[in-house]
Amino acid sequence: MSKNYDLAIIGGGPAGYVAAERAGHKGLKVVLIEKGELGGVCLNEGCIPTKTLLYSAKLYDNALGAEKYGVQAKEVTFDFGKMMSRKEKVVRKLVGGVGLKMKEHHVEVLKKEAYIKGRSATGIAITAGDEEIEATNLLICTGSEAFVPPIPGLGTPNETILTNREILQLKELPASLVVIGGGVIGMEFASFFNSLGTKVTIVEMLPEILTGMDSEMSVMMRQIYTKKGITFHLASKVTEVKGIEVIFEKDGKMESVSGDKILVSVGRKPVTKGFGLENIGVELDRGGIKVDEKMKTNVPNVYAAGDVTGFSLLAHTASREGEVVVNNLTGRNDRMRYNAIPGVVYTNPEFSGVGLTEEKAKEQGIAYRMIKLPMAYAGRFIAENEGGSGLCKVIVGEKYGEVLGVHMLGNPSSEMIYGASMAIEMEMTLKEMEEVVFPHPTVSEIFKETIFGF
Amino acid sequence: MITCIYKLNYIVLSKNIDMSTVVIMPKQGQSVESCILTEIPKKVGENIAKGELLFAYETDKASFEEFAPVGGTILACYYESGDEVPVLKDVCVIGEAGEAIAAKAEAATVPVSEQEKSAAMVTGQNVIVSSENSFVSPRARALAAKEGIDISGIKGTGPNGRVIEQDIVTWMASKPKITPLAKKKAADEQLCTDCSGSGLGGSITSKDLKQPSAFAADDYEIKKLSNIRKLIAKAMFNSLQNSAQLTHHLSADARQIMQLRKVIKKAVDEGYPTNITLNDLICYAVIKALKKYPQVNTHFMDDSLKYFKKIHLGIAVDTDRGLMVPAIRNADDLSIQGLSNQIREIATACKNGSVNPDLLSSEAATFTVTNLGNYGVEMFTPVINLPQTAILGVNTIIPRPKELGDGVYAFVPHLGLSLTYNHQALDGGEATRFLKQIATEIENLTIEF
Repeated sequence: MSKNYDLAIIGGGPAGYVAAERAGHKGLKVVLIEKGELGGVCLNEGCIPTKTLLYSAKLYDNALGAEKYGVQAKEVTFDFGKMMSRKEKVVRKLVGGVGLKMKEHHVEVLKKEAYIKGRSATGIAITAGDEEIEATNLLICTGSEAFVPPIPGLGTPNETILTNREILQLKELPASLVVIGGGVIGMEFASFFNSLGTKVTIVEMLPEILTGMDSEMSVMMRQIYTKKGITFHLASKVTEVKGIEVIFEKDGKMESVSGDKILVSVGRKPVTKGFGLENIGVELDRGGIKVDEKMKTNVPNVYAAGDVTGFSLLAHTASREGEVVVNNLTGRNDRMRYNAIPGVVYTNPEFSGVGLTEEKAKEQGIAYRMIKLPMAYAGRFIAENEGGSGLCKVIVGEKYGEVLGVHMLGNPSSEMIYGASMAIEMEMTLKEMEEVVFPHPTVSEIFKETIFGF
Repeated sequence: MITCIYKLNYIVLSKNIDMSTVVIMPKQGQSVESCILTEIPKKVGENIAKGELLFAYETDKASFEEFAPVGGTILACYYESGDEVPVLKDVCVIGEAGEAIAAKAEAATVPVSEQEKSAAMVTGQNVIVSSENSFVSPRARALAAKEGIDISGIKGTGPNGRVIEQDIVTWMASKPKITPLAKKKAADEQLCTDCSGSGLGGSITSKDLKQPSAFAADDYEIKKLSNIRKLIAKAMFNSLQNSAQLTHHLSADARQIMQLRKVIKKAVDEGYPTNITLNDLICYAVIKALKKYPQVNTHFMDDSLKYFKKIHLGIAVDTDRGLMVPAIRNADDLSIQGLSNQIREIATACKNGSVNPDLLSSEAATFTVTNLGNYGVEMFTPVINLPQTAILGVNTIIPRPKELGDGVYAFVPHLGLSLTYNHQALDGGEATRFLKQIATEIENLTIEF
């Protein structure tokens, strides 16, 4: 005898558990099926553990640089093992918190492997381990996994070759690390290990790191980290990995670099296989599940949210997508918008952006005006960033002055960028922005300063 | 000069109090309870001469004009154009310039404020008021002014339909939110904000704005329907929605009536007083046919058929204000001369806007004739004036080949007849026999004069 639900969710990551929480809150009968731990990649092997570690690294950085602020800290050391175990504790605490939230909102959680059997009389038939489930609606949030490119010698992760998952389980600090792929994940790990003294080399196929972010700030970021000791090989295509040696082609010449560990962070791919997706005929697009603006798939009553759709690959996008699904299921007309999704690189300094970059505006033929100001225009930034530099760039529409994009390099831009997201979501123009009061003294005032530059 | 010929039947139109004169909304016809003010050319404070147009108004059937009974200054006007005014209510006050309006208004039978209240009660909740002495609370007015809102479209929920602050707040909340950019862009590029929002909380973003469609650019003007137009629209739609109507077409040999018409013309030229038209002759023939087919001279009442003892003939009259169908009551009692005179008189009254509204009711007539023959129409499907059972459409005269006997064929003028009947009330056979009877009456019509 199968159990009936209004909504079955496969995958307990930021898309799945947030959707489950919202749907449960709205009174739907929800089952959440997760074969691993609740929280998905974000909580277990992504956002949260990396930010925990990066904070330890930042504290260490600050302690080492404390003298600039008149603080003497002698014989500053760190304990890699303690950093890793604290990270574990934080993850366990948050995963536990998600579990409690599920209970609070009457979501049934099945820690089992889900398999979609097909359509049934009342909706969709699913098995979770040995349990039979019938759901009126199905939300697929199976997420993504690290993509390991078919390069000779890479194969499956092992002692040396790591993805984000394995590198978070290291017991000892490697003396050297080669990072293949200078995107967000690669840069954050590079930043962490660089802070702790590991010799880090980044091999990036494209001409610049952090593609997609503001290119001027990406260059600044690379310069900052070059100064900190990271070696960058740009426009370098890895052709082979031999043991601990990474061989790559740069400017037509073959070069190589060795590392105790090799991190593969070239991208992620949606998980669409192994759970019976094909049994209901869900259409894929470029490897991900194809959805419309309401996160509906081509199959009635089947939705998808999060990394499995293959485009945004961000936890906050995933959560919002999950909410869009629940809103539409519970009678609120909602649609997913991707024009104001902030992106943050949690390096030190942090690098944040939302909306259009200059490159994108040019590419799309959008007439814009741009003003940039050094972060030092905000008094608070000078007070807290001795010798630090940063930049704030605001892009507005040529004709109406609507905020199109805001990019910031400097701490704590990750905490300020949402203000720009709101401005973009609400299509505020310079005129409205000028009327907003910012607290003083804060680094966020840089946004206001830049606005008044127009 | 007063156009309304029925006015004498009703109550005096103005009350003199001291020196000023209060002009009330006349009662036009027994069934009329309120009229729509369509025009008030003079504003408060302006001078008006005796006999000048004071205001124009419409009942649900006809339009009328009211002229100043005395000369003077318009001291007060309690309604605006577009307002629905209960009959016998004070509309405006004419007096000497400088006279205190309040004092005069109080001197009228009821104080101004009381009048306003009763007006609101009669005309329902959404009394539209935006003048000084209107039904808007000061707080609502202040908020509306601050937000630049036109109160006239807002329904009042306060006592007696008074627009209160909450009504303004509710109205603002019901408006879709629009982003600052979308607002600017819409104003600047003349884009349409009448769209659904895809932004935050359903707000309208710049991407939602619609290009006004090529067919809906600025090459049109939206005009409010007149009250009469609205009523015609409703009646016509109701008729097609609520009955099973269909039309039979047939033609009658028109030689006889054309001959009669020729004789009449000649007589008129020689001084005969009544210019009996072809239409008059046809109506006369229709009345004769109706007498033989009482089942057509009926109203269909869903579960019964109302047979009339008398024939009340509806005549469709094309006027500047719209289609009017006045009834010639007891048409079966009339001679051809009487019928002709009455048709002429009532058509003129319709065109002047002075027809008794009671005669315009679809229930006043038992059968209707509509004649488009003058315009050369060869065949049409008239729409029944419910609850009447049928309507005759009269078409133009066309020469048709006809056998005259002994294999001789000739072109003979034929009058086209289109009978629309409600199949709920009549069957095809009956309807056809009736239509044939009309043709026979036309073909064999004789008149005395």
